[in-house]
Amino acid sequence: MKTLAYHRPKSLDEVFDLMASSEDAAYIAGGTDLLVSGGASPPTLISLRSVPELMGVDETRIGAATPVADVARHPGLAASHPVLVAAARRLGSEQIRNVATVGGNLCRAAPCADLAPPLLVLEARAEIVGRGGTREVPIDEFFAGPGETVLAPGEVLAAVRLDPPRTGAQGRFLKKGRVRMDLAIASVALLVEAEGGRCRRIRIAAGSVAPTPLRLQPVEALLEGAELTDEILEEAAALAAATVRPITDVRSTESYRRRIVGVYVKRGVAQALAGGEA
Amino acid sequence: MTLDISFSLNGAEVVVGVRPHQRLLDVLRRTLGMTGTKEGCGEGECGACTVLVDGRVVNACLYPALEIEGRSVTTIEGLLGADHQLSPLQESLVARGAIQCGFCSPGVILSAHALLDRNPNPSDAEIRDALVGNLCRCTGYVQIVEAVQEAADRLGSESDV
Repeated sequence: MKTLAYHRPKSLDEVFDLMASSEDAAYIAGGTDLLVSGGASPPTLISLRSVPELMGVDETRIGAATPVADVARHPGLAASHPVLVAAARRLGSEQIRNVATVGGNLCRAAPCADLAPPLLVLEARAEIVGRGGTREVPIDEFFAGPGETVLAPGEVLAAVRLDPPRTGAQGRFLKKGRVRMDLAIASVALLVEAEGGRCRRIRIAAGSVAPTPLRLQPVEALLEGAELTDEILEEAAALAAATVRPITDVRSTESYRRRIVGVYVKRGVAQALAGGEA
Repeated sequence: MTLDISFSLNGAEVVVGVRPHQRLLDVLRRTLGMTGTKEGCGEGECGACTVLVDGRVVNACLYPALEIEGRSVTTIEGLLGADHQLSPLQESLVARGAIQCGFCSPGVILSAHALLDRNPNPSDAEIRDALVGNLCRCTGYVQIVEAVQEAADRLGSESDV
């Protein structure tokens, strides 16, 4: 099926009018996923590239239409939320990052979405708009399954909202791909606050190891308040491996994914404690 | 349904009729006959179709043609000087043996060109990172990275003069 109509609305009102008047329409943003699916493109596409309400990026709000490259190269975000910038830099190639959008990465709801684990550990919120107005949903509740989100038909992800950075929090993003631009075999983001080797607060999330990007709360509970010794990190790695629910597919196997998530939790905490770049 | 759109192609304004399902790559190669831009995988992996849109590299195979309206596109043809002179970057690639079969070269050159525009003095790691989206099955990349480094050095010393 070929696309028969391609609309480029210039406002959210126009977006909703077009969606309401079409039975077979789908939204398109950067299109770097949608256009790969070959012959099966929807007959009507509504482009979200030229909608001002979805644009703009700063340290508190990232418009959904923001290209991933604009996050990867944002000096303010690099200072405030380096774990997100680190993940943006590892998404695809420069060609993909220049076009793929933050909103598209989340709304496709792939388990491997590179921006999801860092946004989960930052406890970001999804700003969702529809005809009826705006609502906010914690990113943790945004993903409903592989390719599924909590967006109601016609609703649009307008932006991702970020809290101010927490003092002393050290973030890390680790990603395993066959080659550098691949989709993740597994990925881990974490945000650690530690004092004198003791973990005060930690947030951990993993990608490509469950039907949705996943917060690893049992591992967080194990580590919070604990002395971050080699022994407890071994225990955390084993618990992370047991907590995730990966599958075997063309990219990797269930057992390898469990193992790499454990290794990345351990390695990520150690790197975060050592300081330096996310 | 065909829509007329206008955009800047290698510095010249063009108007073309575009159908909703067409990609920028189709418009460049088929409608406009600009065959310097290659089609490899058609799904954003290989980078053979790399072009610049408003100075940024994109895969023309994943770019809806209608989105190009009002924008500025540079293809490999656009880098050729007035007297068919190669750019310093292209000369370095030739001199270093970084071009073999040549199919990936237009994309590689545009990726490296965009890199040097935003970062005139890149490290080896930055060069490799900028070329992650350009597959080359001949050279093994070493010559390409060396050639880009050499071009950066040459361009840097020229601008110092």
